[in-house]
Amino acid sequence: MVGALAAGVPLFGPGIEAAELTALFPLLTFIIIVFFGSYLPLKGAIPGIAATGGALLVSLWGVADIATGAGPRHETLLTFVEGVAGEGVTLTFGILIDPLAILMLTIVSLISFLVHIFSLGYMNDEGEIDLPRYYAGLSLFTFSMMAFVFSDNLLMSFVFFELVGLCSFILIGFWFREAGPPSAAKKAFLVTRFGDYFFLIGVVAVLGTFGTAQFAGSESFVTIATEALETGATEGMTTFLGFGEQAWITVIGLLVLGGVLGKSAQFPFHTWLPDAMEGPTPVSALIHAATMVAAGVYLVARMYGFYVLSPTALSIIALVGGFTAFFAATMALVKQELKQVLAYSTISQYGYMMLALGGGGYVAAVFHLTTHAIFKALLFLGAGSVIIAMHHKENMWEMGGLRSEMRVTYLTFLAGSLALAGIFPFAGFWSKDEVLYETLVHGLGGSPVLLVAYTFGALAVVLTGFYTFRMVFLTFHGEPRSELAEDPEPVRWNVKFPLAVLGVLSVVAGFLNMGVLKDIIGEENLFLHEFLDGVTMDADLDAAGLSAHHYAEVLESNFAAGYEVAGLSPLGPGALATVLAVVPVIGAWYLFRGPDVDPVMTKLGGLRTLLMNNYYQDEYQVWLATGVTLPIAKVANKFDQGIIDGLVDGTGGVSLFAGERFRRIQSGVVTNYAALLTLGFLLLVLIFALVGGWI
Amino acid sequence: MLIELLVAVTLASALVVFMAPDRIAPKLATALSLLPLGIVAVMWTQFDAAGNALRAGGEPAFASTIEWFALGQYTIQWQVGVDGVSFPLLALTVVLTTLAMVSSWTPIDERQSQFFGLMLVMETALIGVFTALDFFLWFVFWEGVLIPMYFLISVWGGPRRKYAGTKFLLYTNLASLVMFVGLFVLVLGLGGSLTEISLPAITQALEAGELGSFAGIEADTLRVVAFLLLFLGFAVKVPVVPFHTWLPDAHVQAPTPVSVMLAGVLLKMGTYALLRFNFTMLPDVAADFAEILAAVGLISVLYGAMLAMAQSDLKRIVAYSSISSMGYVIIGLVAFTPHGMGGATFQMVSHGLISGLMFMTVGVLYNTTHTRMVGDMGGLADRMPITAWIFVAGAFGYMGLPLMSGFVAEVLVFIGAFESTVIAGAPLFTAGAMFGIVLVAGYLLWAMQRTLFGPFELETDYEVGRAPLHDIAPLAVLLGLVILLGVQPDLIYEVIQDAVAPIVDSAGESLIVSTDSLSEIGGELL
Repeated sequence: MVGALAAGVPLFGPGIEAAELTALFPLLTFIIIVFFGSYLPLKGAIPGIAATGGALLVSLWGVADIATGAGPRHETLLTFVEGVAGEGVTLTFGILIDPLAILMLTIVSLISFLVHIFSLGYMNDEGEIDLPRYYAGLSLFTFSMMAFVFSDNLLMSFVFFELVGLCSFILIGFWFREAGPPSAAKKAFLVTRFGDYFFLIGVVAVLGTFGTAQFAGSESFVTIATEALETGATEGMTTFLGFGEQAWITVIGLLVLGGVLGKSAQFPFHTWLPDAMEGPTPVSALIHAATMVAAGVYLVARMYGFYVLSPTALSIIALVGGFTAFFAATMALVKQELKQVLAYSTISQYGYMMLALGGGGYVAAVFHLTTHAIFKALLFLGAGSVIIAMHHKENMWEMGGLRSEMRVTYLTFLAGSLALAGIFPFAGFWSKDEVLYETLVHGLGGSPVLLVAYTFGALAVVLTGFYTFRMVFLTFHGEPRSELAEDPEPVRWNVKFPLAVLGVLSVVAGFLNMGVLKDIIGEENLFLHEFLDGVTMDADLDAAGLSAHHYAEVLESNFAAGYEVAGLSPLGPGALATVLAVVPVIGAWYLFRGPDVDPVMTKLGGLRTLLMNNYYQDEYQVWLATGVTLPIAKVANKFDQGIIDGLVDGTGGVSLFAGERFRRIQSGVVTNYAALLTLGFLLLVLIFALVGGWI
Repeated sequence: MLIELLVAVTLASALVVFMAPDRIAPKLATALSLLPLGIVAVMWTQFDAAGNALRAGGEPAFASTIEWFALGQYTIQWQVGVDGVSFPLLALTVVLTTLAMVSSWTPIDERQSQFFGLMLVMETALIGVFTALDFFLWFVFWEGVLIPMYFLISVWGGPRRKYAGTKFLLYTNLASLVMFVGLFVLVLGLGGSLTEISLPAITQALEAGELGSFAGIEADTLRVVAFLLLFLGFAVKVPVVPFHTWLPDAHVQAPTPVSVMLAGVLLKMGTYALLRFNFTMLPDVAADFAEILAAVGLISVLYGAMLAMAQSDLKRIVAYSSISSMGYVIIGLVAFTPHGMGGATFQMVSHGLISGLMFMTVGVLYNTTHTRMVGDMGGLADRMPITAWIFVAGAFGYMGLPLMSGFVAEVLVFIGAFESTVIAGAPLFTAGAMFGIVLVAGYLLWAMQRTLFGPFELETDYEVGRAPLHDIAPLAVLLGLVILLGVQPDLIYEVIQDAVAPIVDSAGESLIVSTDSLSEIGGELL
């Protein structure tokens, strides 16, 4: 195997040829569990583990294939709606496997596999009921997410984008007998649906404008749009409402962005994610940290060739991303529940990915997506382990001193935290640094708005280090602050194994792309960059318009975003980022280390109240729903009942009155209505006959 | 001759059931309703229609024409046949009737033979509406639907059944009269060029420009007047805002299976007739009024959704959301694009299935809890898990969840409407109407959260437990069909497109692109 890798021969090729199995395995599992789940041993966990394990093998095989020369693969799997020839678009489902897709498939299947195993400990061992519904939800989610990842067109992306939203709804609301989870599930679906509303307009607009929603190839909407701007050949493109080509591309880009902001929990659509923590913790790890929330960012990366055409859209993405990274991090500072800190941290980290995409750092964004999936899944699973130990108590002030009783959890959680805080040489350091570096060099190259976004991102680094280690110290260090923390419940192998795997990865994943050292180790040793650039492939990924290199080229073209790169060694910004990350960690250690911890954050006073209440963002959105929309609905209802229906009854009153009299004469039994009816009917026929000149 | 057989068998079944004792009537009627279902299944395999039945060159399947009697210069015919527009609706009718009958077993506990007999009479009339191609014949069936429906509401309905039934009857009957006059304006305007009043004959004469003046009124005015009268007549049936107020009353009072038929099939008579008359016969007038019609559709979508949001009776919620869903049909039709018109027709079928599913599910909950008020119950998923999860699935179908038929219908309408060259500012209308998908999610999620989830709550003397299998089975079948059409829409969409294409084409020839006026507004935005 190693020999084949070295020789550059595709191992088998079929790895990517069979990539749809990554979705079909979980789909099959879903169907099995829906119908037979309650009869299965472990209530459906076994088929789930088998399916995701199988998907992981296929994905890894695909990675090996692409690393040794095969790919890309792009074909239509089935025709959804056949358009009439020449008019009306044809809607299809297809598969597009390129380095980006296969990487994402690997991430999803890996995390899903580990989460299934973890669930044995978190759900089965804890004696939860209704487990078939849980495992069915996980399988349906994995299926939808996989299909979303390998979608070859925007409509198909939308289809599965919505389906992962459904799975999120089902799984957040898993404990439906309580009041909180169903409400959180509703909010999650509704807020993301609001974003998806814009996304769907975007999909429809793409189909209307280009007649195709394909991502890749010479017939794709991305290529048509690029050519329209580059050569002025606008035959393939119909703009609407009098917009010019570039402006219309911006409009479409921003519409699709609505769905992205909703799903990836970016400001102002971030409010659903903290509530989503009502769901079981493995679900939070899989869906609300590593994969589904990544769907938005992935979508922008998937159609990055389109976004680089619009400087406006990119600037907005960068600003929203940078701001969200900072804004969410401030709220994480004061949270008292373990999962809440992680939730705001997740929002913040996705902000970094958006910042990278807006800042022209395609590889940086994908890199951070990868490392974040690993270390955030790890942190959530670690939190899950702590929650098992604490008998489902989540408040960190009731914890403390857990490190001595929970070695594996502590060490892996620490590795994840170091990665999150961006401490050298853990995974998050490399990727976050690259995000900031890319934004900085493009900003210095003549895009001042990126510098604003960069500043937000850099400030967020400080906050991240602080809240992360506040969490670590409060949970694991010092003395136990409750009886539960003194005697935590032990966890089994099924919890420790996923933690160990992810813990190791959190340490080493950063070596994929050591961008800070690129001047020292050479660009060819930035493995992820080379992989995403299609260097390992025999086919030309540029031709399909999917390579990192191609994106950078368009990004710097004057007809497109027109970014320029300032010459700046990555070492300086890297050193700065390290300082920014290390100082707050030390600060957190100073404040939260001892056996008796002061709740120092209360000294923030009114600011703390504001942060605890999330800047009253939730109140404002609830007000939009119940303070604006609902009253309008009530007024509409009053108007409808009183005025419209009143008029009908008023005019109808005459006939009703006639009916009364008729009934009085005829003693009002049902048969008389029949007589009335028949009479009326005959009358109509008579009119008919008269008009027809029959009589 | 299959259509004749279909009508005869269904009518004969009705007579048999009327004479059967109440005890066996439900099962007997259900068994007999399998006959029309079987016949339609056979028709499905032999379906070979091409084009639109009303247009020149259209070849309806299973067509037959028998001269009936003469009416002055006109020959009245028994003329039937189905094309890609009517056949899916015919299939919907027979499927829903059978399922609605199964769902009647539990709630209908008196005068069963009359109830089920009337259901079969209504099925006969509905089959007639979707197969008749002669206007006189069609009108007989059209009116024939109202009579059993009236009795079904006012005999087996709720406390205010008399009011609701009478309102339904008067309102829709008055509308029929208006529509009737509308058509006769056309017939008279066509004058001597018409020897039969079959729908294809009228359509093709209009297409050939035979419409002359009548009583000193110019042909162009006649067209508009006729269009308006026809539209008003059908708008009540659809129903289009502001002619919708009979619908919630009828739904709330009607027993569950009758609501299923009312929402599932009877509303589609209105949209079917709009497509057949207004949009097929007078496409040029429809195109001239495109913006107004699109606005009417848009208002129906948004206003209907707002009304649904204000309700707390589950049945009223579903009833008002039907108004909203029918708004999409109007917008799709007026777009005059393949996916717009095709999607609108697809929506008729899809909404028939989904609203049927929702009404039935609400009915199953009601059978057990004896309430439909959102505030009265909570956490039903604990006691009735299968029903609750089917409710959830149906609600997501209503919200247009992908891989269910509602999504296909809506997305096709949106695609078709967005690129419409007939409606000035089509993208803005489309985007406005699409907001319906957010509103529908809002009120259905809210209703679900309150009734199905949370701690179990219900003040009742009845035992709340799982529903019997025969209550669940029709729900499962409908859900299966909704998913089937959502995954494989071409099962019916191919024939639909074939049948609407001639209408789209005809409009395309005579229409002027009128997007320029909105261009300026768009230009100023950026």
